[in-house]
This record gives sequence, C-alpha cells and structure tokens, in this order.
Amino acid sequence: MKTKRQIQKEATRKLILDTAYQVYADEGFAATTNKIAKAANVSHGTIFVHFPTVECLIICLLERFGSEINEHLHILSEKDENLETFLAAHINVLIRYEDFYKRLISEINSLPQEAKYVFINIQSVVSFHLNQVIEREKDKIAIKDIPMHIIFNSWLGLIHYYLTNNYLFTVGSVLTEHKDELILNYIKLIEK
Amino acid sequence: MKTCIACGMPMKKESDFAMGDTSKDYCVYCANSDGTMQSFEEKKQSLINFTIKTQGLDQSVAEKAVENMMRQLPAWKECF
Ligand SMILES: [Zn+2]
Repeated sequence: MKTKRQIQKEATRKLILDTAYQVYADEGFAATTNKIAKAANVSHGTIFVHFPTVECLIICLLERFGSEINEHLHILSEKDENLETFLAAHINVLIRYEDFYKRLISEINSLPQEAKYVFINIQSVVSFHLNQVIEREKDKIAIKDIPMHIIFNSWLGLIHYYLTNNYLFTVGSVLTEHKDELILNYIKLIEK
Repeated sequence: MKTCIACGMPMKKESDFAMGDTSKDYCVYCANSDGTMQSFEEKKQSLINFTIKTQGLDQSVAEKAVENMMRQLPAWKECF
C-alpha cells in the first residue's frame, strides 16, 4: 500500500512532467524551469526535489514519451497490419504529440547527449516495427532492393521535413492534412 | 501491461512472451531457442546490430545508444 504522502509525491511528479511537456511543446526546450513551475502552480524548488537538474527532467520526459509511443505502436501492430496501415499508425501516434515532437526533432542537436540516446531509442521502436512489416510484406508486395536503414531513414526524413517546415504546407496540422499523400507516395517510391 | 525486462518491449499477447509463456518476464526476442533469456553480451550485440541495420548508425553511436537503453532495464541493472 502506498502512503498518502507517496501518492501525493507521485501526483506532483506527474503534474510537473505533464506541464513541462506542454510548455516545451509551446515554447521549445529553452523554456525555463521557472516557467514550468509557474504553469504547474508549484514552487520552483519543488521541481528540483523531483528532478535534480533540467537534464534529468528532459530525459525523464523523453523516456515517458518514448514508452507511450512504444505502447501505442505495439497495440496497433497486433492487428494484422500491412505497410500502409503501419505507416498510418506511426503518423497517427505522432499526430497525438505533434507540437512536442516537432520541437524535439528541431532541437535535438542542442539537447544533452543522453537525450539524444533516448531519441535514438524512440526511433528504434519505430524501425523495429517497420522492419517487421517489410519482412512480412516481402512476399505480397515487391520492395526495391534498398538497405533497410535507407527505407527507414527515407520515411523519417520525409515526415520530419514536413513537420519542421509545417508552414510551407498548411497553417494547421501538416501530418493530418498530408498523411494520405505521404503514405501513398512513399510506398510508390520503395515499391518495385 | 507487462514490459520485457530485457528490452522494454510491451508484452500483451501470448506470442509476445518467451515460449508463449505469459508468466515469463522477458519477450520472445530476448529468449534463446531453449526458452532461457539471452545473456547481456548476446542481447547487447544483437541490439547494436539491429540498430545499425535499421537506422544506419555509426558503430560507436549505436553502442552508446544501446548501452543507454539497457542501463534502464531491470534485467541488466547489475551489468552497469
Ligand atoms: Zn525483450
């Protein structure tokens, strides 16, 4: 049994993470912990009780984000998915986190080294599923003779380009509006 | 939902578990053919190879990313 104090502590930790997620999504990772504290309605010191450094906060947030993506993709992959439905599932998951993810991919190079590793591992989950789907689909559709990492990086490159240059394509959610077009044409590119 | 102690994969359906045994704490990808869990070195090597194959990473980057991930997992706590 958790004590009342433990429950309270966990709730505050979650509140800080949820708020940091929103603040970073809105303003980018340069947003201060002061700002996060204010938005969460906790004292500045409280943040550091839970996360000794800003790096810890960011890494913890990315890890939580990664396991959420992991879970979503895993649940979706249970259905008998094909290439098209998998790519749609990936985009749908990203749409849920679109603003945050956009910040993440635009600012990843300036984040701490450990955050970069967490980011790689987030992508590993996606590449794991894509690799499985490609292996499974091989008999059904003819995929060009391209190495797996180029297949994966081309997909990621495509959606990351649209995300980081959202303004070129729409004022709304670029993934929502261009999802079908991107999936359809990406498949055409890798299909024999 | 249970997650694999050795790689972090969520395990939901029977076929996710080693030998289809839902009482196991590790997944089908972390098991040897006899059902035992892969060793730290085996798992690390296979994850590094997989990361390079599917993402094209530089060897040293892949090694660090994999170590970073394994460090968080319950199965390998003592290996770091
Ligand atoms: Zn596993």
